[in-house]
Amino acid sequence: MIFKRLTVLMLVVVVAAGIVGPVGAQGSKSVTIAFDQEADNLNPMYTTMTFAGYVYAIFLSGAWNFDDELLPHPVLAAEIPSLENGGLSADGRMITITLRDDIKWSDGEPITSADFAFTHEMFVSDANSPLTRDPYNRITSLETPDERTVVVHFDEPFAPWLGLFRYILPEHILRPVYEADGSLDNAAWNRAPTVGSGPFVFAEWEVGSFIRGVRNENYFDAPALLDTIVIRFVPDPEAYLAALKNGDSDVGTFVAFPDLPELEATGFLDVGIYASGYNEGWFMNANPETAHPAMLDVNVRRALAYAFNRAQIDNDLLLGYTYPPSSYWEGTPYADPDLEPYPYDPEMATQLLDEAGWVDSDGDGIRDKDGQPLTLRYATNTRQIRMDVQVVVQQDFADLGIGIELLNYPSDIFWNTYADNGPMATGQYDIGQWSSSPDGFPDPDIVRFMCNEIPTPENPIGDNWQGYCNPDLDALFVEQARTMDYDARVAIFHQMDRVIKDDAIWIGVWYDADSWIYNTRIQNVRLNGASPFWNINEWDVAG
Amino acid sequence: MGRYIARRLLQAIPLLLIISLVLFVLMQAAGDPLATLGGRQPPRAEDRARLARQWGLDQPVLVQYLYWLVGNDWAMMDSDGDGIPDQPGTRKGVLRGDFGNSLVTRQPAMEVIMERVPNTLVLMLTAQALIIVFALLVGIYSALHQYSLMDNVLTGCSFAAFSMPIFFIALFSIYLFSIRFKAWGLPSFPTGGMYDPAVGRTFAQVASHLVLPAMSIALIDIARYSRYIRSNMLEVINSDYIRTARAKGLRERYILFIHAFKNAALPLVTLIGLDLPFLLAGAVVTERIFAWPGMGRLFLDHLNRTDIPVMMGLLMMISVAVVFFQLMTDIVYTWLDPRIRYT
Amino acid sequence: MSSSELSAQPVNLKLDEDTLPPQSLWRMTLRRFRRHRMAMVGLFTLMGIILYIGVGSLIFTEAFANHNDTRLRLQPPSAEHPFGTDTVGRDILARTIYGGQISIIIGLFSVIVAVSMGTAVGAVSGYYGGKVDSTLMRLTEAMLSIPTLLLLLVMAKFFSGRIPDLVIFGRTFSGSVLVIIIIIGLTSWMYLGRIVRASFLSLKESEFVLAARALGVRDRQIILAHILPNSMAPIIVAATLGVAGAILTEAYISFLGMGVRPPTATWGSMLDGAYQYIEQAPWLWFFPGLLIILTVISINFVGDGLRDALDPRSDKKV
Repeated sequence: MIFKRLTVLMLVVVVAAGIVGPVGAQGSKSVTIAFDQEADNLNPMYTTMTFAGYVYAIFLSGAWNFDDELLPHPVLAAEIPSLENGGLSADGRMITITLRDDIKWSDGEPITSADFAFTHEMFVSDANSPLTRDPYNRITSLETPDERTVVVHFDEPFAPWLGLFRYILPEHILRPVYEADGSLDNAAWNRAPTVGSGPFVFAEWEVGSFIRGVRNENYFDAPALLDTIVIRFVPDPEAYLAALKNGDSDVGTFVAFPDLPELEATGFLDVGIYASGYNEGWFMNANPETAHPAMLDVNVRRALAYAFNRAQIDNDLLLGYTYPPSSYWEGTPYADPDLEPYPYDPEMATQLLDEAGWVDSDGDGIRDKDGQPLTLRYATNTRQIRMDVQVVVQQDFADLGIGIELLNYPSDIFWNTYADNGPMATGQYDIGQWSSSPDGFPDPDIVRFMCNEIPTPENPIGDNWQGYCNPDLDALFVEQARTMDYDARVAIFHQMDRVIKDDAIWIGVWYDADSWIYNTRIQNVRLNGASPFWNINEWDVAG
Repeated sequence: MGRYIARRLLQAIPLLLIISLVLFVLMQAAGDPLATLGGRQPPRAEDRARLARQWGLDQPVLVQYLYWLVGNDWAMMDSDGDGIPDQPGTRKGVLRGDFGNSLVTRQPAMEVIMERVPNTLVLMLTAQALIIVFALLVGIYSALHQYSLMDNVLTGCSFAAFSMPIFFIALFSIYLFSIRFKAWGLPSFPTGGMYDPAVGRTFAQVASHLVLPAMSIALIDIARYSRYIRSNMLEVINSDYIRTARAKGLRERYILFIHAFKNAALPLVTLIGLDLPFLLAGAVVTERIFAWPGMGRLFLDHLNRTDIPVMMGLLMMISVAVVFFQLMTDIVYTWLDPRIRYT
Repeated sequence: MSSSELSAQPVNLKLDEDTLPPQSLWRMTLRRFRRHRMAMVGLFTLMGIILYIGVGSLIFTEAFANHNDTRLRLQPPSAEHPFGTDTVGRDILARTIYGGQISIIIGLFSVIVAVSMGTAVGAVSGYYGGKVDSTLMRLTEAMLSIPTLLLLLVMAKFFSGRIPDLVIFGRTFSGSVLVIIIIIGLTSWMYLGRIVRASFLSLKESEFVLAARALGVRDRQIILAHILPNSMAPIIVAATLGVAGAILTEAYISFLGMGVRPPTATWGSMLDGAYQYIEQAPWLWFFPGLLIILTVISINFVGDGLRDALDPRSDKKV
């Protein structure tokens, strides 16, 4: 009978596929971290994905790292270069890094300055296609006078230098691959970094399920107290919460604020909010060629800020876990603590709009001027909370006679390039909402508001999608990038905070810090929003 | 027969070419692989321009299709961004078995897909086995007891199951059998994944993680299949030769299982044959909810990043499977039913 | 059985037209349909749902359905909000009414697209045969070779944001409604195409068609006026079931976050955000979910009844 045979065949396949060599637990002390997206690649060159960055940080070390106060501490370096210890030259164009003399890879090979030089070489090689070359492309030359010393030169003083050498690649493993394949792009190590320098060594990656690491017995610093670390991938939000609640996962992140109370209610999950550099904000289009004419008037932009009841959104929709940020760098020392966000003041908004000449002259409920109605395009991606905010704003603004057209795009269309007619890049919006962070967080350097970054057919790769240009702000941006003195640099950022607020070119919607949840059975958890697992070697669980 | 098979295979070639071209063009316009690169905000424009060149995404769509199809090792590419083509490309093209590298993981696209095939098959074949067994039980019972109370109840239930969105069933079963059962202190099923990494990929682990997703998938298709079996059985039972068999005094059970069932089952072969290749697509929604590392989830994850090589590879693999299984179904059918001849 | 019994009834060869009226096809169909109990239950439920979304929109305005008040977020059902409120404090009862309208519009119109395409392809293919037939059937096969949900997702992304908002009868619809209608229509015509083709293949050799052709009736006329009306039964059944399928499909696309965009709601898009609150706020997903399930079940029952009624010997493929 066909069916009998078919059924038997199926059962055989099922059973055979099910038993593929059991992999037993290696030790008794294990912690499971859950992410809702799978890492794409574990080579720092080939991923800009937040979660992948968290994972490779467990397996790799860099010259320095950031602690729970976001202050740098040396890891492979003997100390953080500074003007005082001679690591930074007075003109800010040379950095000398001295390495510890006991550092080694997980296979016992020593880590030397040659690995640093190799890392730089790989990032800038034309044979490789790393996702970003920044900041390695700023280096003009690199020397390794001896095994313990790395000297880096720049053309210009380069303040964000802490972004260099966050993770180092093993030359003795990867150089042969690079020479054999002509590129590192497809190296097996990228997804199976079996030789590393972190507190844990990569053990296996069960695609679609988890990555497992075991204690690095050759770790040059205090060895990890846990035996294994497991990173699980759980894409569905409901299943994600369930896994934390029933103890399948010990650590989670990126849980939406409204879901936090129910996790806290379990009694064994601790919730923390950590600055990640991200702030949700409105990017106001001020490009004369693409924006609604009203957007070019700074008073109209200010009126929109006054009209937008952000505190209510943060309180009601985000349950008061966050607040309207006053600075693009909210949550870092670069945000001016004395600056206040625009308050919610609909009368002020009405007055500003009236003064600017936007009044409802034809009685249709929407303000207008010179026959053009004040209907603005409000664009964002398809994230639920953003779509919720959109409908609230649409209703509130209608009361003030401001028409709002809602636009939503999937992220990879929303952020399409200028060349590909992306709605943001080509200015097909008046208000764009998303969350942004400095690329090199915790370093604050950005280029997004600079005049020479405005994309045009001749310069399609500009990052300034708002078409906004203020020479005073430009000068400050150039200045901060060459200011090596920390306090002086902070002062420049405080000036920029005021310009950005006064020009109402970016309006903070909520301080978009990361939520982290961890099971209280784990001890010594000291997270931060940039490198949360910086002290994972100190984590412990009761036997 | 041989000529028939040859003709069908020849016809499949233009068919697959058209499918691939249409899908390729659709995907080009469906998003930008460089828009996020998996980060939370768009990457630097300068890096995007370089990657577009290095990955060949700056070429016109038909050129990209051509390179996808036949490779670019015969053409000179610009490797350093000075606008002058300086060295030959490295891709061999689909026709020579190179589906390109994933834009997300950098692995060969086929490797990415093949990692997921066994997982999807475990889930989908289990579900399919459940479907066939339960559908046969329900379908035959209903047919033999037509219009009985139980038949009406089963019919009602199948319609309800058939009308239910699968995410409803899936989420509800997580809520009930994982969260609530655990809270009540009853034995509960895991919320997702394929096995507990702390325990390992044992049979018991996979089986326990398999229960909820497989049942969720099966529930809906049991309804679909059992309706089909029921009506086929009814048709056969009421046909002349069964009446003849009855008149000859053969035992009822013998009649049902040897004569009626065999003939009623025949169309089921077609149904299964046409459904089988689509098992490869996995159950997008179910795999997503239960974090099952199969092809459906692969597709969703890579759709969000517009990973064209992987999506094309996956869809083309299914298309080829569909064409192949259609042919197989036809051949099996002629073998089972000698009255049918293809020329 | 005696011979006297056999001849007991006088045989009346003359047909009395008053006592035995010839039953029209439609009347017989109706009678058979009415005998199908579940179909009648389905029909009444469906009428109830249509009444609900019709009368409901006379009671609640659309502005009320879209009115949000974040302070009333996630309120459980109460006298003021019988179905509770959603994540931005909108009244769910009113939203199920307006969302239902969109869901049903999507269901109906995407089936119109699918039926038009399927019938056109099937009719041309079946009637003309030859090269036309094999080309069209290859196309159909190509469409059938791609998993529908995957194709829908790619197409939803392809069209997203390309179609501006529409204003029909003074109401603003998100352009995404049109997108969803088109893509569901474009991906669900293939089975119908095959059914129509099969029906045309058999009917085109029938005597009345041969006669019409002999009389010099034009092809278009034959297809539209002679063959098509005789192929209506399977088309009607497939179309009815198609509405249920389209409503479900829309819910799936919305669930995966690629469906209709706000402020327009559908039952499916109401579920999109709601499923995160399966435990916390069950009223969010319960009411729209229930309405989807009820509607789809009723339509399926009606479709099943129609199939039995229109063609008692049809194979009952579900």
